[in-house]
Amino acid sequence: MPPTTDVVLAVVFLPFVAAAVTPLVFRLLGERTAYYAAAVALACFALVSKLYFAGAHGSVAVEWIPSLGVSLAFYVDGLALLVAFLASGVGVLILTYSGGYMHGEPGQAKYYASLLAFMGSMLGVALAADLVALFVFWELTSLSSFLLIGHYTGEEASKYAARKSMLITVSGGLFMLVGFLVLVWASGQALPETTYRIPVLIEHADAVRTALGDAGLLVPVLLLLALGAGTKSAQVPFHIWLPNAMEAPTPVSAFLHSATMVKAGVYLVGRFRPLFLPPEAPILGEWTTLFAVLGLLTMTVAAVLAVSATDIKELLAYSTASHLGLIVAGFGFANAYGAEAGAFHILNHASFKAALFLVAGIVAHEAGTRDIAKLGGLRKHLPVTAVVAVVASLSMAGVPPFNGFYSKELLFEATYYAAEEMGGVGWLFPVVAVFGSVFTFLYSIKFASLFFGDEPDGLGHVHRPPVTMLVPPAVLGVLVLAISGQPNAFIEGLVGGVYGSVVPGDAHSFSVHLPTELSPYFVMSLVTMALGAVLFPFYDRIHAGVRTLLSGPVRANWWYDNAVDGATALSKRVTPLVQNGLLRTYVIWALAAVCALALGGYAALGVSLPPLTELAVTTPILLVLLVAVVGAFAVGIAPSHVAGVLTLSIVGFMVAIFYILADAPDLALTQLVVETLVLVIFLLVLDRLPAFYGRPRAAVAVRDAALSLVVGVTVFVTVLVSTASNPNKALAQFLAERAGVPSEHGSLIVDYGGGGNVVNVILVDFRGFDTLGEISVVAMAAIAVLTLIRMRSRGETQ
Amino acid sequence: MSDDAPANEDVAAAESPRPSDVDRSTTVVARTVVRVVVPIILVTAISLLLQGHNLPGGGFIGGVLTATAFVLVYVIFGLDYLQATILDRRDEVDEGMVSVYRRLFALGLALAAGSGLAPLLFDLPFLTQAVLFVEHLPLYGELEVASALAFDLGVYFTVVGALLTIIAEVGAE
Repeated sequence: MPPTTDVVLAVVFLPFVAAAVTPLVFRLLGERTAYYAAAVALACFALVSKLYFAGAHGSVAVEWIPSLGVSLAFYVDGLALLVAFLASGVGVLILTYSGGYMHGEPGQAKYYASLLAFMGSMLGVALAADLVALFVFWELTSLSSFLLIGHYTGEEASKYAARKSMLITVSGGLFMLVGFLVLVWASGQALPETTYRIPVLIEHADAVRTALGDAGLLVPVLLLLALGAGTKSAQVPFHIWLPNAMEAPTPVSAFLHSATMVKAGVYLVGRFRPLFLPPEAPILGEWTTLFAVLGLLTMTVAAVLAVSATDIKELLAYSTASHLGLIVAGFGFANAYGAEAGAFHILNHASFKAALFLVAGIVAHEAGTRDIAKLGGLRKHLPVTAVVAVVASLSMAGVPPFNGFYSKELLFEATYYAAEEMGGVGWLFPVVAVFGSVFTFLYSIKFASLFFGDEPDGLGHVHRPPVTMLVPPAVLGVLVLAISGQPNAFIEGLVGGVYGSVVPGDAHSFSVHLPTELSPYFVMSLVTMALGAVLFPFYDRIHAGVRTLLSGPVRANWWYDNAVDGATALSKRVTPLVQNGLLRTYVIWALAAVCALALGGYAALGVSLPPLTELAVTTPILLVLLVAVVGAFAVGIAPSHVAGVLTLSIVGFMVAIFYILADAPDLALTQLVVETLVLVIFLLVLDRLPAFYGRPRAAVAVRDAALSLVVGVTVFVTVLVSTASNPNKALAQFLAERAGVPSEHGSLIVDYGGGGNVVNVILVDFRGFDTLGEISVVAMAAIAVLTLIRMRSRGETQ
Repeated sequence: MSDDAPANEDVAAAESPRPSDVDRSTTVVARTVVRVVVPIILVTAISLLLQGHNLPGGGFIGGVLTATAFVLVYVIFGLDYLQATILDRRDEVDEGMVSVYRRLFALGLALAAGSGLAPLLFDLPFLTQAVLFVEHLPLYGELEVASALAFDLGVYFTVVGALLTIIAEVGAE
């Protein structure tokens, strides 16, 4: 059945409303705002559950600007529900946990408002059916992530991390937007009418794909979408923002940077999978080449980097990137197992990784350090936490019978069958998958081992965590156990729907079992665990070895830092040239840029000039224009400012007369009064201008003359081109029919302008919106002058 | 505002007097002409505003013309004259006329936007304009009432307020 509009709207917008009133709530409740926010998340969770239990599937749309065909459309299906469940459900746990973790921290009102706004954005991403809405919510998640990563606004590392994540994810989002626009264009080619709706695009996947392929845009669109997904989901080489993002408070890392926001990228890949991967797709089509390779590469590289980590949150961050790579790789493979692996691992990863982040938060909070070398033997002090950590770590390592094993096994299955079908170089897929998984096994066991063994020297007293911090990870731990115990129940209930969303055609479910025989992929799992177990005693040596390899251009960070530093240095060098404090320099650059853009635009479009023979002028007009030209020359050689201004007004008044002669009384009136007013204003400010009458250098004079010539040519060409495109008098016909008073008018006219002066009817009726904008600009100019002149003496004093 | 006043002296002595010392720099002729001309300009401006719907004119032109009339008064008699004699606002020394002008353009914007919102009450799109012909009026016979006039009035007030704000601020320098 289709979902209820009210419920869907409430799910998405309730968090935003709640975020808006958070500052007020914070004044009333103080630190207990956490439980208010958790209650909001719980309400969203209940609403999502309501959709789920109602069996909702389909689209709802709210008309927004019907005249432009813009509507806010949402789509509910398995994938949307899973991500919405994660966003709201993990949200409840995280916000509760924050109540303990954020005790005594600064900026809590901002923190909870940003978290709630993020939750709303993420729910929006999950449920959006419209490409524009998806993009807006997508960038909103980046924005709230920016605020949350930079929570400790005073710290340099926080600022660096926030900037980095913003630059990478937002610019990736812009590439994605370009991809969306190409898709919309393709829909216009393939379908009767252009559409922004994702479900409609997927319904007509073949036609859209054919249109893209015919235009040679299939690969570019895939690359653009991959850039969006890859930056958001921290795929190599864009994984570098995720470890830095760990500067955020740990609940934020658990929520945004493991369970939800980074899942937006894999969500995108899953969402568009049925569009680009038809059932009859070749085993190594464009989609598989791109996403399977990207995913496996990320899975392996990030797993190796996780082993090199020295900080528990850094380890988890790289591990998150690695597991996101696993999901992307799963969605990349054209066989059913890949889709199953991706769909199932979204749930599994969220369950164990959020739990591990919360564990890391407890460790950092209670032991006072996140340094792996300084931690050990925590089991004695944190018994409950230790149990959760061990369960979640084993699941992350892919050890049976925990849930992580099933989804990893499915990926192995996908790589194995892909390789079997391809042969040759295709065998690299399973080899790389196993290689990456060995490292996953290593760092997972390392994390669990922090709770065993001896306490290192220097580890201070470890406190007991408060109950609010203990319950959320325990809930997640129980969830891991529940999925591990009854995987098929969860698949039947939830993941099967996700699988249905990411494969073309009708939805159907699947099931997993513990292996009963030595299948090739079970052997892959066994090899992974055996190799991991053999290598684990040498963990420290591998850790050190990887660290020594990472230097210079091998690190993606090296590229990022150099690019940002280079851009900063470049703008520092360019700024004094363009903006040197002299108004005339600013004018030169502004005018030159406008002319270059306009003329460049005409040249690029191959606009041809209309024949000049049509420019017939009468003798009076010619005389008036000649006087104007003489006046213009006189301005150039005027001996004083006053003379210059007065001669300039000659030009203005001549133009006004020209308007009269050309039958444009409204323009002429406007020109006359404005000219008069400008003259007076000029005279008022003249004595403020410097008496700059030194003889200009020849080079400067030539440059200025050339620029003025170019400006003149640009304006001339623009006027010619724009007036030549008069659409066969249709415009005049339209206005003459609509603007005036119809001869047989009734006593009330609503549809038409109903005025005799077509200029004014255009201003107040046809283009009333423009006029409203223009008078706003006039008012803004007045406010600007007021601010600049009146308040300059009482501005900020730094 | 930090600079000294005598800098005014050398430029356009006939047209830009020092506000405090009117008699020294403007002639009797100029003052008399302005007294006669300003009311005419204002009436012209208002008629341009009102007839704009069917004849040349409109809110913008009317507004600029009104501003010009005020500027004439300002140039010949000084800002203080306008403030003290005509509007009797001696008390507001600091803000002076600017606060009035500021409120004026705020009012104008509100009027224009409000007239755009009004059609929403009748379930019509934003900024829909209507024309009503009132028949059989004494003296007029038929009168055309255009809702666009409210919008135009908003434009008028905004332009007058904004221009006078700018001129008063720049002129006070």
